[in-house]
Amino acid sequence: MADTSAPQFRRAVVALSGGRTDRSIVSLAAEVARTGRADLVGVHVVEIDWTLPLDADIAGRDEGAQRVLDIAEATAEAAHYRLETVLLQARDVGAAIVDEASERGADLIILGLPYRRRFGGEFTVGRTIPYILKNAPCGVWVIREAMPEEQA
Amino acid sequence: MIGGRRPISGRKPGDKRIRVERPHSAYFRYSGPGQLVAKPAASKPRTPLQQGIQRVKQAVFGRPLANEEEIGERLPKKLALPIFSSDAISSSAYATDEILRVLVLAGASALYISIEVAIAITILLTVVSFSYRQVCRAYPSGGGAYIVARENISQIAGLVAAAALFIDYIMTVAVSTASAVSQAYSVWPVLYDIRIEIALASIALITVANLRGLRESGNIFAVPTYLFVGMALLMIGLGVVHIVTGTVPTLPDPAYVIKPPNPVEALTVLLLLKAFAGGAVALTGVEAIANGVPAFKPPESKNAANTMTMMAVLLGVLFIGVTFVGNRFGIQPTTEAGPTAIAQVSSAVFGAGSPLFVLFQISTALILFLAVNTSFNAFPRLAAILAEDGFMPRQFSIRGDRLAFSWGIVVLAVIAAILLVYFQGDVHLLIPLYSVGVFVCFTLSQVGMVRHWLTVRESGWRWRLSINGLGAVLTFVVLVVVASAKFTSGAYLVLVLIPLLVVLMLFIKRQYAASATQLAIQPDFVVPTPSRDERAIVPVPSLNRAVVRAVNVARSLADDVLAVYISSDPEDSAAMREQWSKQVPGVPIVIVESPYRALAGPLQAYLDVLDQAWPPDKPEPITFVVIPEYVARHWWERLLYNQSARRLRSMLLGRPHTVVVDVPYRRDEPAKFGMDVPEPEPKDVADDGSSAGS
Repeated sequence: MADTSAPQFRRAVVALSGGRTDRSIVSLAAEVARTGRADLVGVHVVEIDWTLPLDADIAGRDEGAQRVLDIAEATAEAAHYRLETVLLQARDVGAAIVDEASERGADLIILGLPYRRRFGGEFTVGRTIPYILKNAPCGVWVIREAMPEEQA
Repeated sequence: MIGGRRPISGRKPGDKRIRVERPHSAYFRYSGPGQLVAKPAASKPRTPLQQGIQRVKQAVFGRPLANEEEIGERLPKKLALPIFSSDAISSSAYATDEILRVLVLAGASALYISIEVAIAITILLTVVSFSYRQVCRAYPSGGGAYIVARENISQIAGLVAAAALFIDYIMTVAVSTASAVSQAYSVWPVLYDIRIEIALASIALITVANLRGLRESGNIFAVPTYLFVGMALLMIGLGVVHIVTGTVPTLPDPAYVIKPPNPVEALTVLLLLKAFAGGAVALTGVEAIANGVPAFKPPESKNAANTMTMMAVLLGVLFIGVTFVGNRFGIQPTTEAGPTAIAQVSSAVFGAGSPLFVLFQISTALILFLAVNTSFNAFPRLAAILAEDGFMPRQFSIRGDRLAFSWGIVVLAVIAAILLVYFQGDVHLLIPLYSVGVFVCFTLSQVGMVRHWLTVRESGWRWRLSINGLGAVLTFVVLVVVASAKFTSGAYLVLVLIPLLVVLMLFIKRQYAASATQLAIQPDFVVPTPSRDERAIVPVPSLNRAVVRAVNVARSLADDVLAVYISSDPEDSAAMREQWSKQVPGVPIVIVESPYRALAGPLQAYLDVLDQAWPPDKPEPITFVVIPEYVARHWWERLLYNQSARRLRSMLLGRPHTVVVDVPYRRDEPAKFGMDVPEPEPKDVADDGSSAGS
């Protein structure tokens, strides 16, 4: 008999890209986290080019990056849940998310995946998600957005 | 840590990352490019005293609500009826008394005509409610008398309607509260002696509830309104059964009965008109549905119009029913301390002191209290609309912590409380002030609708115009009757107050218009770089750290800096000059001897002299008066320093071409603002606290 109870976790890192999927994954994470009173940590990583020092003052001055986290926080609040937010600068987004999740003892990473096609028409998942799927020590949920109607 | 950025090692050497601090996130949230939204923490009080006040406020009024927490619920008819009709339906609890009190002057036999008077008033109610059905249809966004009169007649007509509405709302609170209390002491006469205290306590209670943001929650209104309507219909039904079966109980004379005068007055047309004017109070509150059309579920206009009809039918049945049964039972009018007409009827029908009688009286008192709340919703909203239009102080349009228009609520409560105390909670003394304003609104609203149909001329406009035209004529005639019949007993006050309020509102509008004209800049005006000279004057009480800080701030504002030392002792002056020139060499000091020991006057005179000495061919310079001020750490510490800096500041505010700059100095953070101030030995710090002129 299938287990229909909501999946449980203690702490989840929600990876926020600033894209279309952010709101839906935060809402979903908040809804699921409520049942087990789990902690939610929203992480947004600003990738720093190799031409700049890693500690360059980039993300702190980037309103867009701050807004990604603020919108996620507001989305969680609208779902009556608290989301802790973390802003990171790193050379590689996937590694930063995995390391942050490990350091915080997270037992789940939640990622959004927009439905994108590469030039030529093949569906693509980019490079961050495969990295996390391969290296994360904890569980990983990838939530793909619905296929656009014209492609369905 | 580098400027809020903390490096963290990753699992692999190349996976280092930087955690960036977000200092804004505790207080603000980015909502768009260059746009922040404040979080509750940003509005949190900072001092212990402010925090204490905040805690008390929250305990009484509840936590502050954000704008998006406003309830925008739409009401079905079954909930809208009790919400918008409690004011009108509750008038049936005291309208019969007002008729009987006039008719008794013509002797006990004249009381039998009360039924005809009630029928005449109900015919008027029918016309008025039909007229307001048209308002519901024409103004789906809410057709208060102010809006209808303003849009269709003139701004002045709108203001007259608004003034009349203000009086109407205030009187609703006073009359309904007094009447609710009178229902209570009809059951328990012992309450009569504390009626004012009960009335004031109930107004205080409903004020706090509204400041907490009490919404027109359907259930709060539905239960008592339907309970009252149900029990009143039961009472009328049982009363009719008694009348039909010939089992009308013989009633003893109630306490405090009003005996007919000796000799009695003749039953003239004038007396009948007076009785009609008294009973016309039953129509108060009829317009509430037309004001609240947007709160109905779609189709809003149709639902509101139907609810208006239901309300009119209920009110008519209750009013005629109570008057008819009372008439046949031979109930008599009483003085303020005696039982009301409706209490006498219910006592006769249900049995004096029976549980049904007590329950009915409680439901009557409750519906009257709910009628009060109608005004607490409407008055602040009208005041806010007028404030947005510039006819009322802007404070009235500002929502408080709980999204309520706090100013309007408090002003309404205070004025109504004053009226209740002044008239000793006597409903019959208050009522003459009540009906006039109501009929002014009715008339203006109906005239406005006649103009509306003449302009719009949409399908069926002739029929609608004739309804509103009839309403306008009838309500105007009743206005004249009510105003003349009650003129000497208080209506004259309303006729004086309405023009006074209109003049006051026009005055406020003119003031706002004048200041807006003065502050306005042309849309194509490009602000040039300022070219005026600037100079800074630092009034110095002595040489201390606060003064040094103020001098440094002055130097950053202007090149031309001058210290002014007001002295009452020539010996001190010399010492000060010597010390100043030695320790602050770059800033000249002027010493003004003040033999009369005044500080502010000589300084202001010196500034005037400086202005007069300015070359007339150059534009006036901007003078920064930089005031050093010691900031006390505790409230009790403030007692130790005289407040000369504050006095100086308030004296200089408004001086032309002068900017007052306050430079605070806090004892617990001496080094922060220090710039190039050398740390003096503790004994060098002036004991007087360094406030200018301390």
